[in-house]
Amino acid sequence: IRGRWGRGGVGAGPGAAAGAFSWFQAVDADRSGYISVKELKQALVNSNWSTFNDETCLLMINMFDKTRSGRIDVYGFSALLRFIQQWKNLFQQYDRDQSGSISFNELQQAFSQMGYNLSPQFSQLLLARYAPRSSNPSIQLDRFIQICMQLQSTTDAFREKDTGLVGNVRLSYEDFLTMVVTRMM
Amino acid sequence: MAAYPGQVGPRRAIPGDGPASGNAPPGVDPEAFSWFQAVDADRSGYISVKELKQALMGYNLSPQFSQLLLARYAPRSSNPSIQLDRFIQICMQLQSTTDAFREKDTGLVGNVRLSYEDFLTMVVTRMM
Repeated sequence: IRGRWGRGGVGAGPGAAAGAFSWFQAVDADRSGYISVKELKQALVNSNWSTFNDETCLLMINMFDKTRSGRIDVYGFSALLRFIQQWKNLFQQYDRDQSGSISFNELQQAFSQMGYNLSPQFSQLLLARYAPRSSNPSIQLDRFIQICMQLQSTTDAFREKDTGLVGNVRLSYEDFLTMVVTRMM
Repeated sequence: MAAYPGQVGPRRAIPGDGPASGNAPPGVDPEAFSWFQAVDADRSGYISVKELKQALMGYNLSPQFSQLLLARYAPRSSNPSIQLDRFIQICMQLQSTTDAFREKDTGLVGNVRLSYEDFLTMVVTRMM
């Protein structure tokens, strides 16, 4: 299973349903009929062979979990595989030097191409927070997915409040909590 | 509208304070577990709407907020409830959300004005 997610790995293509089911059975280690965050984590690896981080797995499970039970069934899993493949394609597109990870310039470019108008400081902050320390910090696929998902939902949440498109909003503590709980957790 | 609360989430443990947390499951934060036990008044192993509302009462949040948490985190059923692991996730997120907000609300006014990028920075770099 781990071999599937190498840089040249095969992702879910058309007819994913059939492939997804046998993969589902392999990942559902306790044979519960559902995949938990922990089981999902074991099944997904980055190009450097590290397993996907907990936060990304949790975000994705929450996204495809219709029952709000913290786990996904085979249909949710099939949709999740397609989702990951889409992000993987984008990741590979933005990873211009094909290093397997996205560095500062590539991240800036990615945000710009995705339509975000963000300062270089923001990208720097993200890399300081999420990339292993190095002279050229960069992020793997899992962090990229996590960041992009959070960017999307945070932007949606902000836009809902900033109806006048002013670019800033006044929020109470409970407003803020509510925005986080309903969108970003 | 809710007033600005003191703190949300597990309190830092004071020796002798609160129920014994000696039997926290492996890998579970003992403080979070003892708060779970304190909130799970009927010792069912799950947290119900009533128990959650009770727990959040001290934090000056509206009843709608408890409802929201349950709608988001409890499996759909006639009697929605939250299990230990989800509860811990919620506590940790509420705590870091509160910390992020407090960092901005230096005057402890209970509300802040945020630009888009401020907001992004608070959420995306902090609460993940």
